[in-house]
Amino acid sequence: MLWIWIGALDQGLAYAGLALGVYLTLRILRFADITVDGSFALGGGAAAVLLAQQVPVPLALLVAVVLGALAGMVTGLIHTRLGVNDLFAGILTTTGLYSITLRLMGRSNIPLTEAPPGLAQLPTLGLGSDGAWLLALLLVVAGLIAALALLLATDFGVALRAIGNNPLMARANAISTRLGLTFGIALGNALVALAGALVALYQGFADVTMGIGSLILGLGAVIVGESLLRPRTIPQALVAVVLGSVVFRLMIAVALQLGMDPVDLKLATALLLLAALGLGRLRIPGLASSGERR
Amino acid sequence: MSLEIRGLQWGHPEPGGGWRQLFEGFNLTCATGEFVVLIGSNGSGKSTLLNLIAGTLPALAGSVCLEGRELIGLSDHRRASRIARVMQNPLDGTAPDLTMAENLRLAECRRRPGLRWSGLLGLHPDARDRRRYQELLEELDLPFRDRLDTPVGQLSGGQRQTISLVMASLGEPRLLLLDEHTAALDPRAEAKVMALTDRLVRRLQTTALMVTHSLEQALHHGDRLVMLHDGALIGDWSAQERRQFSPDDLRAFYGNVRVDERQERRG
Repeated sequence: MLWIWIGALDQGLAYAGLALGVYLTLRILRFADITVDGSFALGGGAAAVLLAQQVPVPLALLVAVVLGALAGMVTGLIHTRLGVNDLFAGILTTTGLYSITLRLMGRSNIPLTEAPPGLAQLPTLGLGSDGAWLLALLLVVAGLIAALALLLATDFGVALRAIGNNPLMARANAISTRLGLTFGIALGNALVALAGALVALYQGFADVTMGIGSLILGLGAVIVGESLLRPRTIPQALVAVVLGSVVFRLMIAVALQLGMDPVDLKLATALLLLAALGLGRLRIPGLASSGERR
Repeated sequence: MSLEIRGLQWGHPEPGGGWRQLFEGFNLTCATGEFVVLIGSNGSGKSTLLNLIAGTLPALAGSVCLEGRELIGLSDHRRASRIARVMQNPLDGTAPDLTMAENLRLAECRRRPGLRWSGLLGLHPDARDRRRYQELLEELDLPFRDRLDTPVGQLSGGQRQTISLVMASLGEPRLLLLDEHTAALDPRAEAKVMALTDRLVRRLQTTALMVTHSLEQALHHGDRLVMLHDGALIGDWSAQERRQFSPDDLRAFYGNVRVDERQERRG
């Protein structure tokens, strides 16, 4: 029984980058970015291709991050330069990314039979390989939270937040909304691609369809996390989002434990999110219609 | 001259088809440190003029020079490094989820937008910033000292407009644009914001253009009163000349601009 919980914890942490990326684009920049569906699979696929060729894990993760950032940048440029609405810009990129990811992978599924080297050197916390995973993922996620919290506390980070909060005010204070949005969306997708790579690594395979529903998963984590912690500061919000990712995974583990068919997982996720949204609307003023407070 | 507008052209398509040319070779010059009050009826082009100067509307032709530097062709956020604006809606000028200190910090960075990136290299010296903001608020006699960490969205409209004004005064602006910035405020808040406006303009010694519909403001604030009608300058009075006017005189000015004059000018 314990293994299921530890496994869900590991998975939640592997997916944390997705939740952080969605938080950055949706909450900070108020940009509904469907690109994450494509960049999650892109990150997973690229990492799997490299890992299958014995490329070191950090380098594979770095490549995934760069590719994710490029995908986000494309969406950002389509939106800010061509004036295409956020949803369509994301759909355009995601549609294109499917082919790119498939080309990159060469086939629709790449299995990763070997555990990443280096993992065996980590202490297992008395939990076997899951414990080593837990430690590795915790380190990565803690690093991400710290880096993002620092970034969002800089002048540049405050400018990014202003762009999402009140673009009119941002421009009147000499902030380039184009540059900021493009950078923010790229950063968000870099995080998502990293999550894709970590998930591929953890579950031992990458699939070209693994990104479907990522935005909804990430959004679910954000909403669950915010409902649980009700963050008041940015660092609190980042921790809440990661916590949300873990709790969301636990909820799915419980559902599977109760005998739910894995085929119904996406439907259950969508319903769970719908419930969380409904709940969030009741409990957190401004969540469902955050634009109103401007 | 600080601000020189020469031959400004701007128009827009009419809803029913056709074209309305609002500014046809518009000229205006303002001396450095001059506080100019712009009045005129609705649709006379006051706010449009501010938008053309700020770059939120693109001019069709002409020149807008600020301290010898041409602004036409620069995007609005680039112009914003030297032009500060306070907008009519108190909700437009501040970011509601950001704290007061963060809003002030953004305004302070206006002068050096490129340097925002330098913030990536290290954390901002937060404590020093905060002390400076507190001193500034104290100096301006604003009761906000202990609210630096309050999200601006939790403040009233008058308070938010006051913050917008303080923000506009940061970052050494060379031109201050005030677009009916007290229109949405109650009389008490209006008086406070106007008193602060006078103090800030004097303190900054910057050129300021203020659009207003308040005849009281038009008669008692600023160094110069300018009246616009249909995109043309139809009155230009110094503070000295303005003294002879009563609010009724100004009201009569609004009334005297008849439709036939308008058409004559356009023809």
